[in-house]
Amino acid sequence: MKDNNSYWILKIRKRPFYIWLLRFLWIVWLVFWAEAALGSKAELEPRALVISLIIFLVSLLTGLALWLLGIKRFKK
Amino acid sequence: MKRRDFFKYGLGSAGVAVSGGITGRAGEINYVSQASHFQHPWWVKEIEKPKLGIDDRIYSRFEARKNVFGSMAKYYGIDNLRELSRRSEEKTKKYYQEKRPGYRLEDRALADAAWVISRQGGLNRGTRSWTRNFVTTPEERGVDKYKASPSQAAHLIKTAARYFGAATTGVALLDHRHIHSEERGKKIVFEKADEPYENDTKMVIPKKCKYAIAMTVLMPIDNIACSPTAISSAGSSMGYSRCEFLVAGLAEFIRGLGYTAIPSVNDLGSSVAVAVDAGLGELGRTNRLISPEYGPMVRLCKVLTDLPMTVDKPIDFGLMEFCKVCKRCAEACPSGCISYEDEPSFEIKGEWNNPGHKAWFEDSPKCLAYWEESTSGCSNCIAVCPWTKKDKTVIHEIVKAASAKIPALDAFFNSMDKSFGYGRQKSAEKWWKTNHFEYGIDTAQGKG
Repeated sequence: MKDNNSYWILKIRKRPFYIWLLRFLWIVWLVFWAEAALGSKAELEPRALVISLIIFLVSLLTGLALWLLGIKRFKK
Repeated sequence: MKRRDFFKYGLGSAGVAVSGGITGRAGEINYVSQASHFQHPWWVKEIEKPKLGIDDRIYSRFEARKNVFGSMAKYYGIDNLRELSRRSEEKTKKYYQEKRPGYRLEDRALADAAWVISRQGGLNRGTRSWTRNFVTTPEERGVDKYKASPSQAAHLIKTAARYFGAATTGVALLDHRHIHSEERGKKIVFEKADEPYENDTKMVIPKKCKYAIAMTVLMPIDNIACSPTAISSAGSSMGYSRCEFLVAGLAEFIRGLGYTAIPSVNDLGSSVAVAVDAGLGELGRTNRLISPEYGPMVRLCKVLTDLPMTVDKPIDFGLMEFCKVCKRCAEACPSGCISYEDEPSFEIKGEWNNPGHKAWFEDSPKCLAYWEESTSGCSNCIAVCPWTKKDKTVIHEIVKAASAKIPALDAFFNSMDKSFGYGRQKSAEKWWKTNHFEYGIDTAQGKG
């Protein structure tokens, strides 16, 4: 942040450990279901493919929404 | 030799020589380190005796003519059988006229044609001959017969078996009770003899043949998934034809090493019992072998030999507990021949079962009658089994491992498997439009 053109203030926000853990688990969860969807496609299992894909997309969107919500709350 | 090659091979050879000098017995160590090629996944446990036990007072050699193929007329009634055959013919014609997918001329031709190699052999006949066909023996080559430690010999045989088409291979000490007491109207006896032979009254297996090599051959899963149609039938026949090639090739290989070899598929004795002893899988609700790698999607075959080898142990991967709660095969069986009982027992369903071992015994005549009724055979029990998977996604490996280690989750896994749509009948019409692997199987599956 600029203040009187004389110096910068850099704010580094330290997130709690559990947030990083949740992010890591979310990514692992997404990779798992993406792999399941691709594998099901290769196995010619349409229902397994659709279910895996839905779980993947719902998890992705929910995660992103929560992330954006967190950013919004932080800005306030 | 180029300079690069000189360094490549020269340094490589020096490295091997040095490591050989350090270890002293490089050959043996190589075999041991490569033994992992043939190991089951980490969640499979070796045990001393098969889980579904044998009652030694009762279990004995089975007369092959009592099996359902040999005595169907007796079990089902000759008039019922004639009526069944008549209905089957009518249906076959009707299906042709309707051009019903899976029952058209091209589907049936494929199913018949896939038997082509299997039809070349029978008990001590053709490709399953008990004596050598053409291979040159060490004697004829003017050299000593193959000599190695039992672990080296086992590794050699497993490598050769894989080369001839075996998905998994195990070695067991031959339990004579697994061998039929008679077949094709002749007694099968064990005698002190140099070579196996057959005369007008008996077939002789040399007593020195103490080892049984059990092998699984992977069936094409996309075919079996179309059950019950002629396309699924083509999957079974392809499995049998590949078994034929495998046992014929392996038997000739063993004879080429200077030892006796007796190849067999479904003839001679129970391949399931031998395979359970050799640690290739467990006995499932269908009273057939379920392998940890491929489930029931396998055909079995065996070779008896006198080549000394290290034997494998039976295995436990929690299948019995899984079968207790699953029952998908019984639900999918159109003939109702598979047991719904919670626990396996010693109680047989009829003369077609060999008593004296614990199992979920099946009502075989009902099964065979449905094969005729459907006009195409049936493999529903194989197709719907949750252990039947192509393993293209890691989720299957995780579920298998968890089921083996935490049986409490079996019911949950089974219902999830159903929800994800596994085991549903696939379209026989689409089968013709699919880009299949050679022989319809993915040979990389289950190889780590």
